[in-house]
Amino acid sequence: MANYHSVIEKNVSLMIVLTLVAVSFGGLAEIVPLFWQKATTEPMATLRPYTALEMAGRDVYIREGCHVCHTQMVRPLRAETERFGPYSVAGEDVWEHPFLWGSKRTGPDLDRVGLRPITEQWHREHLRDPRQVVPESNMPAYPWLAENTVDWSHMERTLKVFKNQFGVPYTDEDIAEQMQKVNGEWADATEEDAVVAYLLSLGQARREER
Amino acid sequence: MSQFWSVYIIAIVVLNLAGCAILLLVNLKMSPEEAKNETTGHSFDGIQERNQPLPRWWLFLFVGTLIFSVIYLVLYPGLGRFGGLLNWSSVTQWEEEVALVEKKAGPLFEQFSKVPVEELYQYPEARDVGGRLFANNCAICHGSDARGAKGYPNLADHDWLYGGSADAILTSITQGRNGMMPPMAAAIGGTDEAVRDMALYVQSLSRPDMTKDAQVAAAVARAKPKFAVCAACHGQDATGNQALGAPNLTDGIWLHGARLEDIETTIREGRNSHMPKHEGVLSKQRLHVLAAYVYGLSQDQQE
Repeated sequence: MANYHSVIEKNVSLMIVLTLVAVSFGGLAEIVPLFWQKATTEPMATLRPYTALEMAGRDVYIREGCHVCHTQMVRPLRAETERFGPYSVAGEDVWEHPFLWGSKRTGPDLDRVGLRPITEQWHREHLRDPRQVVPESNMPAYPWLAENTVDWSHMERTLKVFKNQFGVPYTDEDIAEQMQKVNGEWADATEEDAVVAYLLSLGQARREER
Repeated sequence: MSQFWSVYIIAIVVLNLAGCAILLLVNLKMSPEEAKNETTGHSFDGIQERNQPLPRWWLFLFVGTLIFSVIYLVLYPGLGRFGGLLNWSSVTQWEEEVALVEKKAGPLFEQFSKVPVEELYQYPEARDVGGRLFANNCAICHGSDARGAKGYPNLADHDWLYGGSADAILTSITQGRNGMMPPMAAAIGGTDEAVRDMALYVQSLSRPDMTKDAQVAAAVARAKPKFAVCAACHGQDATGNQALGAPNLTDGIWLHGARLEDIETTIREGRNSHMPKHEGVLSKQRLHVLAAYVYGLSQDQQE
């Protein structure tokens, strides 16, 4: 037996392979079974896919790095459910690609921000200049969102990728309807319109539980 | 979790633990020919590596982790569908936490709900609770000191758009309010001059010394007869109407800005203010405590 040990010790390639095998057991036990669990693969009954405007807002949210300071993950702790709303469950994020759970809260969690009684106007003022409404805030201002119009050039493709590759249940009619709005009422929408629409959509699947 | 995945996870976990234990046992002993050598045969710049058993303290730590993992797997979830003897889960832990606080806070809220708002604000405990509810639900608009911001009313002064009685405050919080001032430019003449005259007149209501300036006095004289259309909501004496949420224009408190430009914008474009309703967001008992807190904000201060 001890001879095997010296063989492994003296053969770097073999040692790397065996190390990878040893490390992979953790993932095999903790991650692989989740691919077949209903709790993680089935969307909540109340979940609905994003509209094109919300999807565009989500893209801006990612571009501006909102997820670096804001989580979207309410943990099952009383202090958090009291402050934010119902704790997050896997079924809410089945259609999230990529998910935006974040890992650090410099600002508050946003997973339930759409359920809070905050007006659209407040969100706009807050995005343009956070200290106008919350003097002690350390959030940067995003005034350009109100000036930039949404870049719609990728939206049809985005929705199709979400439908075909990620299995989000858009129908072809849904996409056509969304694109009609994109070319119609949302054609001149600003990035601020999109982000606010996205923020107000967060947590809507849990509205009844609040 | 299906039977298959449960067995799959248990198998990996048990095999791993067993594997670690076997690896440890095997490495405890040296083969006879190895034991004969005092060194491993490695030599670096004349420094030789001696062939020694694992250090004892390190070995005991390793054994300790194995024992710990076995105890953990017996008590807590980890082996597939087996939930552990303690029956712990993050959800039941949360439920217990909530139930515990409800048990403590429930009677307190029950007691608070029997005290009228006008009295409750003097209870230090109710103030504490109300202050936290305010910080979490109201402060983002009205400010952590409740002094408001442009477009969001100050709640710590004696000026109330919809009334400062306990009932009015509770209604504002519970049902929300919609303040709507229509664009008035057309009604007062439509020209930029007419708007400016009216803005000067409205501004002079709380700053009478402004009219010492002859130009302002002239503007005020031009605008005053047209104020009749404003009086429908703000009243003949411009002191407002709390039934409509029309602000008092004579008290020098400006929700949407005190500058002449702000007032002109208000007249030209109107204002829409929306206080969201909190019914369903907070329980009735919490709304009651919150109303007492808000009511109390202006009670300590002199007019």
